[in-house]
Amino acid sequence: MKESYSLVFNIKRHDPEAHKSWMQTYRIEAGRILRFTDVLRKINKELDPTLAWNSSCEHAQCGSCSVVINGKPMLACELLVENAVVYFGTTTFTIEPISVAPVLRDLVVDLEKAYDRVHRIRPFIIQPSKNPNQGQEYRISPRRMEGYLDATRCINCFCCATACISSHKGFLGPNAVMASVVRIMDPREDATEDRLKQLYSEEGVYRCHTSKACSHVCPKHIDVAHFVGLAKERDFT
Amino acid sequence: MIARTSGNGIDKGFFRLLDMIPPLARCTRNRGLPFIISWAHRLSGVLLVLFTWFHIYTLSFLVPAGAYADKMKLYELPVFAFIEWALALPVIFHALNGGRLTLYESFRFRGDEVLLKWVAGLSILYAGLLAVLMRMGNQNVSAGFFWLMAAAAALSAAYGLFARIWRTPHRLSWKLQRISGAFLLVMVPAHFLFMHLSPQVAKDAGQVALRMQNLWIKLVDMALLASALYHGSYGLISILKDYAASKELRMAGMAAVIAAMMVAAWAGLKLVIAI
Repeated sequence: MKESYSLVFNIKRHDPEAHKSWMQTYRIEAGRILRFTDVLRKINKELDPTLAWNSSCEHAQCGSCSVVINGKPMLACELLVENAVVYFGTTTFTIEPISVAPVLRDLVVDLEKAYDRVHRIRPFIIQPSKNPNQGQEYRISPRRMEGYLDATRCINCFCCATACISSHKGFLGPNAVMASVVRIMDPREDATEDRLKQLYSEEGVYRCHTSKACSHVCPKHIDVAHFVGLAKERDFT
Repeated sequence: MIARTSGNGIDKGFFRLLDMIPPLARCTRNRGLPFIISWAHRLSGVLLVLFTWFHIYTLSFLVPAGAYADKMKLYELPVFAFIEWALALPVIFHALNGGRLTLYESFRFRGDEVLLKWVAGLSILYAGLLAVLMRMGNQNVSAGFFWLMAAAAALSAAYGLFARIWRTPHRLSWKLQRISGAFLLVMVPAHFLFMHLSPQVAKDAGQVALRMQNLWIKLVDMALLASALYHGSYGLISILKDYAASKELRMAGMAAVIAAMMVAAWAGLKLVIAI
């Protein structure tokens, strides 16, 4: 087992002022348990302070560090150098921004634009249903909750939307569709018909072709395709 | 190995095979096998739409019979016989994979890995059977009986799906695409099989014309024509909606697809009625 690796990072860069995009190569030595976010920080410190990338929690909870590594959308904060070398079978990595929103600079995309699709489905309770236990908290049976609990772990990293066979031109995206399905399955929500109307619109389930790339790349291991499938079946039990 | 690091038996052999084609292996690693299968489904669908147009054009030579007989001579050449057989591969793959998708989307069958093996296994079996029949070339079945059986199976499949999806809030065009798919799942592979179960009836212009004069066969042909053209055009339009960059491009593409399908439908209908 090697303690460190000589890595080659080919990073797609973008300068919005000059309207220019290019690939830049960085050669760097990195310890085996460094995460890709650590390596990007190392590049900033040792090689190029102008390289822009995004991260926040760096614990795979916020989804802001999503990038495309050797063709696969992933969270940079979750990928260890050694795991990457084993998984991809190489020490050379091409890193590009995710493709669901316009690039602001280098690896940073306009997440606000990406979130527009999620906001459109209103991932909150639109019309609260009547609480059967008036005056108390709304109780949901564990059995019922089991049906959609997995989907609530989505962090909106947009890896699924980046990997989807359908382009991003007219699709809400797997994460947004799933968020709507979660609310439909939630007994506290009464606006089912409203939500179904949106799911069965041109930008909804008709753009999904069950290629299941969403489930394959999900860093939280959610079977996203299953939840989109429930919407197609129109059976959320 | 880069496609997948685990697996045993057939899986292991398959992924080893995939590793021999690095772009496919990379794509499988990055997006998963069903993603590759989805692209294969799309590409085979486009190929089949193009072939359907070509097929209708070829059949339009049925009148006069002499021109059709000249065309059919082409199929006696080994290379054309091979192409004819090879075309059965996208047909059977597209049909069975469509069945897999229907089971996933409308019947909540999530055992996809098992179904993919069935798709592969049955495709190989069908292609093998077809090759044997083509090689023998001495079969003979009654057209009326064969199509009665095939239509009964196809209508059962279509009805099964109809009963399942008709009351869902999906739009009518989507429902019809799925139902026509279930019908074609049986009918198109049966159509290929029939050609080689009755080589003479299929290739002799006089015999073809005689068969097509039968009202039952006319109905079968019209149902095949209508569902294939509808299913194909819906598929093409769906691809356009996925990838066309602008609304104008999407509208122009849709208009072109609908126009092409109308022309093919008219040519096919004229042929079925005229004979």
